[in-house]
Amino acid sequence: MFKNHLNIAWRTIKKDKLFTFIKIGGFAVGIAACLLIALFIRNEVSYDQHYAKKDQIYRVVMQGVLQGEVLKSTHFQLPFAEAVQSDFPEIIKAGKVNNIEIFGAGKHGIRVNGKQENTFEENFVLADQEAFDILEINLKQGNPETALIEPKSLVISKSKAEKYFPNGNALEQTIFLDNDTSKPYTITGVMEDIPENSHLNFDFMLPVEDNYGSWTNQNYFTYVLVNPNTNIQELEQKMSLIVEKYIIPAQIKRGRSADFIDVLRTIEYKLQPITDIYLKSDIKMQDGLKHGDIKFIWLFAAIAAFVLLLAMINFINLSTAKSANRAKEVGLRKTIGAFRNNLVNQFLTESVVFSIISFVLGIALAWVLLPTFNEIASKNMELPWSTWWFLPALLIAALLIGVLAGLYPAFYLSAFRPVNVLKGTLSVGSKSGRLRSGLVIFQFTTSVILIIGTLIIYRQMDYIISKELGYNKERVVVLEGTNILGNKIESFKEQLSSLSQVKNVTSTNYLPVDGGSRNGNTFMVEGQDDGGRGIPAQIWRVDYDYIKTLGIQMTKGRDFSKEFAYDSINSIVINTKMASDLGLKDPIGKKIDNGGQTFEVIGVIENFHFKSLKEDISALSLVIGKDVGAVSVKLEKGNPSEALSSIEKVWNRNIPNQALNYTFLEQEFAQMHDDVQRMGKIFNSFALFALLVACLGLFALSAFMVEQRRKEISIRRVLGAPFKNIYQLLTLDFLKLIVISICIAIPIGWYFMNRWLEGFAYHITIGWEIFATAALIALGIAILTISYQSIGAAFLQPTKGLRTE
Amino acid sequence: MIQITDLKKSFRTEEVETLALNGVNLKVEEGEFVAIMGPSGCGKSTLLNIIGMLDNPTEGSYNFAGHEVGGLKESQRTQLRKGNLGFVFQSFNLIDELTVFENVELPLIYLKMNKAERKEKVMKVLERMKIAHREKHFPQQLSGGQQQRVAIARAVVTNPKLILADEPTGNLDSKNGIEVMNLLTELNQEGTTIVMVTHSDRDSHYAHRVINLFDGQIVTESQNKPMKAMV
Repeated sequence: MFKNHLNIAWRTIKKDKLFTFIKIGGFAVGIAACLLIALFIRNEVSYDQHYAKKDQIYRVVMQGVLQGEVLKSTHFQLPFAEAVQSDFPEIIKAGKVNNIEIFGAGKHGIRVNGKQENTFEENFVLADQEAFDILEINLKQGNPETALIEPKSLVISKSKAEKYFPNGNALEQTIFLDNDTSKPYTITGVMEDIPENSHLNFDFMLPVEDNYGSWTNQNYFTYVLVNPNTNIQELEQKMSLIVEKYIIPAQIKRGRSADFIDVLRTIEYKLQPITDIYLKSDIKMQDGLKHGDIKFIWLFAAIAAFVLLLAMINFINLSTAKSANRAKEVGLRKTIGAFRNNLVNQFLTESVVFSIISFVLGIALAWVLLPTFNEIASKNMELPWSTWWFLPALLIAALLIGVLAGLYPAFYLSAFRPVNVLKGTLSVGSKSGRLRSGLVIFQFTTSVILIIGTLIIYRQMDYIISKELGYNKERVVVLEGTNILGNKIESFKEQLSSLSQVKNVTSTNYLPVDGGSRNGNTFMVEGQDDGGRGIPAQIWRVDYDYIKTLGIQMTKGRDFSKEFAYDSINSIVINTKMASDLGLKDPIGKKIDNGGQTFEVIGVIENFHFKSLKEDISALSLVIGKDVGAVSVKLEKGNPSEALSSIEKVWNRNIPNQALNYTFLEQEFAQMHDDVQRMGKIFNSFALFALLVACLGLFALSAFMVEQRRKEISIRRVLGAPFKNIYQLLTLDFLKLIVISICIAIPIGWYFMNRWLEGFAYHITIGWEIFATAALIALGIAILTISYQSIGAAFLQPTKGLRTE
Repeated sequence: MIQITDLKKSFRTEEVETLALNGVNLKVEEGEFVAIMGPSGCGKSTLLNIIGMLDNPTEGSYNFAGHEVGGLKESQRTQLRKGNLGFVFQSFNLIDELTVFENVELPLIYLKMNKAERKEKVMKVLERMKIAHREKHFPQQLSGGQQQRVAIARAVVTNPKLILADEPTGNLDSKNGIEVMNLLTELNQEGTTIVMVTHSDRDSHYAHRVINLFDGQIVTESQNKPMKAMV
C-alpha cells in the first residue's frame, strides 16, 4: 500500500509540473532560509562557549550614577583584580586585560631579531598571568605557569609563530616592536589560535607593565574565576565594599570633593558571564570589542520561523487548492473500499515525500548560497555535515514538517464523500474560504512588514553614509604602522607635505573612527572642584595640522599654532558639547583642570562625530602631543592612485623595511557602521526570501480561485462578459486582502522600526512615503502575480469550463 | 440478496426539500440481473448509490445479504462494501495516475491481499477482459471501450457478489457497448448478481427484469426472457 502511495505521489509530481515546482520550490526556499539563519544564530550564540569553566568565568562591569545618568564601564583600576582576589574567598582568581593602544595594545610593527623586515600587526593585548589562566590559554610551546610573569615576555599564536618562524622554533626568540631595539621581547609561549568566536581576539599577548596604575584611573578589564555554586548576586553586593575600602580613600587623598565621593558611592559591581559578553553587552560600556546583538538573534529567529510558516501555509493552500483533481480519486478509492485513515495515510505520505524532496533541495540551495551569505555576514560558516546529529535532525525535521503541513490537507481531502464526487455535485473548497483569506492576509502582512523594515534600514544606512559629520572624511588616506618612525616623524611629515598631490598631513592615531585611540578623563573648571562639577571628556593628543587636515570647523577662538610656544604645553581646544557640559558660556581664555594639570581654552570646535552614529556626540578636547600611531594625509583633488604612488615613494625612503599599509578614512568610517550595514543586508536578503515565498503562495491561490470559478467564468463568457469584467472579478477579491494586509502591517512595521531607529542617536524620521512605497511594492507584486492567472482565465474557451464529464 | 422496504431519500437545500425516492420496495435475488430505467431525475442513480452503500436512505430499510445497512456509519459501510460490491460507471472513473494494472489491483490492496496473489488475480481478470497487453498503460492512453473493460476488471477482481453498473455503455459506441454488455452477461451467468441503471432499451434487454422508476417510485416491473450473449 505504501508503495502505491509513493507511486501516486511521484506521478502527481510529474503530472503537474508547475504546481509541483511552486509547492516544492517554495518549501525549499523556506527551508534554505531557515537553515542559513539557523547557522547564523548558531554561530552567534557559540561565542565563548569553548571555555571549560565557562560557568565560572565572569567579566566585572561597574555602573554608577553621575548627574542622574547611569554610566557603565568595563574598565577597572590596576589594583582592582588583586584586591577582589584577596578580599573575596569566592573568587579563585582575578586577572586583568588591557586593549587600549596607548598602553601598547592594538597595532605594532614587528621585527624578528636578525631580520631587516618590519611587519604591521594589529592584534596585541596586554594581560597578566591570572588572566592568562582564567582565559584558558592553551600553550603549544612554553611553560603556561610563567608565560606572562616576566616583563618583556611575548606569547604569540600558533599561526603567527608559523608565519615568522616557519622552522617551528619560536620559543626564546627575540622580537622588536616598532623597531625599538632598546626593548627586546622574548617569546615565552606559542598558543593555540584563539577561536574566531571569542569576544576577545588576539594574536599577541604582552604582560602588564604598568608603573603608574593606581586606584584613581581605570584602564583594565577584570576577569574573575569563581568557585562553583557561588551565589553571584551576593558576591556582587559584597564587592561594593571595594569602593569604601580602596577607591574613596585614594580619591580623598587626591583631594576630591565630598560631592565627587558621593558619586563614587553610587558604584555597583556586576558580574557578566563570559558567554554573555559578545551578545549581551550594553553599547554604553564602550569596551572597544566587537559585539553581536541579542535583539538581532531574536529578530532573525522570528524571520526564520515566519518564512517557514509562510512556506507551510503555501503547501497547505496549494494542496487544498488542487483538491478538485484529487476529489475523484478520493471518491473512487472510498468506493472501492478505502477507509478514511487509508486516505489520510496516503496524503500524509505524499506530504512527507514533498517535504523530503524540499529538504534536499533546500539544503542544496543553502549550500549554494552559503558563500554569498558568509560574505554578507562576514563569517566563516559551514554546514555541519560531520556532526552526528545534523542529518538525522534534518530528516526528523523533514518528517515533522511534512506531517504538520500535510495534516490539514489530508483531513480535508479524505473527507470528500464518494457519492458527491461521483455525482459531480461537489463544490470544492468553498467552505474554508475564510481560513484561506486569513492565511493570505497573514502572509502579506508579514511580507509588507518586512518590506517596510527593508526600506527603513536602507534609508537609515544612506543617512549615515551621507550625514554631515562635522569633519571632512573625503580624500583622507590613513597610513598605519608609523610607530616605527619615532622621532623621524617630523621630517616624514614634511616630505609628504611637499608632494604636490598632498594638501595637509597630520600625525596622530586619535581618529574619529573605530580603531582610533581613545582617552577618557575627568575635567572641571579650575577652582570649581568644590561644586563637584567634574565631567567626563576625551582628551586627544594631536598635532598642529589636525584640525586643518580633517576639515573641522572652528566656532570660537583659534587653532593651535607654532607661533605660541605655550600651545604645546597648556593650550586646549574643546568642542561645543564640552563647553556646554562645563557650563562655559564664553570659554575662550578659561582655565580647566584635568587631574591636576591646568589647560587654557584657546578655541572651540564644532561638534564632530567621532563615534558611531548610534551614540550622541560627547565632550572632547584636543591638546598638542606626540602620537605617531598613524599619519593621515589629505589629498588634493585629482587621481588618488597617482598620489598614493608618490606617498609610497616617500614611505619607502623613510621606512624601507616595512610595507606601506593604508586605508581611506571614508572606508574606516563605513567599517564603523559595518555591523549595522551587515545586519541590514542579512535582514534584506531574508525579507526577499519571505516575499518570494509569499508571492508563490499568492500565485498558487489565484490559480486555485480560477479553478474554483472556472465554470462561472465560462458561463459569464458565454453570456458575453468582456475580458475586463472577468479580470476585475478575479483580481479584486485578492486585492481586498492585500489592502487589509497593508493596513495591518503599517502600524506594526512602524512600531518595530521606530524601536530599531531609537538605537541610533542620529536617525531618520519615518515618513508616510515609506509606507506608500511599501504598499505600492506589495500591490504591484500582488497584481503581477494574480494577473498571470486571471488573464489566462479571462481568455479561457467557454466550452472548456462547461464540459464537466 | 437485496431487500428494500419502503425506502425514502430526500435532499434538502436551504429552501426546498426534494424527494428523490418515495417509498421504493425492491427485492433482488442472488444471481439476478436487474435493469433500472426511467427518465432523467427519476431517482435511478440515487437508488443505485444507496444499494451501493455510497449513500444512506432517509427512511426505510435496506437489507443486504442479511445485514441492515440503513443506520451504518461510513466506516462500517466501507467494511461491508469491501469485496462484496463492484462498481462500473458511465464515465469509467479510473484513477488517471495509476496504470491499468494498478487500477485493477487497488481493491485487492485495500483487502490487504499479498503481492503475489494480487498479481495473479489481476492478470487473470485482465486476460479475461482481453486487456492484459495494456497493463502498463495509463487510462488516458486507452479507448473508451478499453477503459470500461478495465473498470469492469476492477469491479470483478474481488469476485464480488453484486455488481452495480451506472449506465455502463453511456459513453461508448454501439460496438464497444455490446461488448461490455456481453461481458456483464457472462459474469451474471457465472453467478454474479447485477443491478444496472440504463437509458438504453437495447441494454435493458440483457436483464432478467426491468424496473421503471418515475418520480421516485417504481411504476412498472417487467420480466424479460434472458438473452444469450450476443456475438
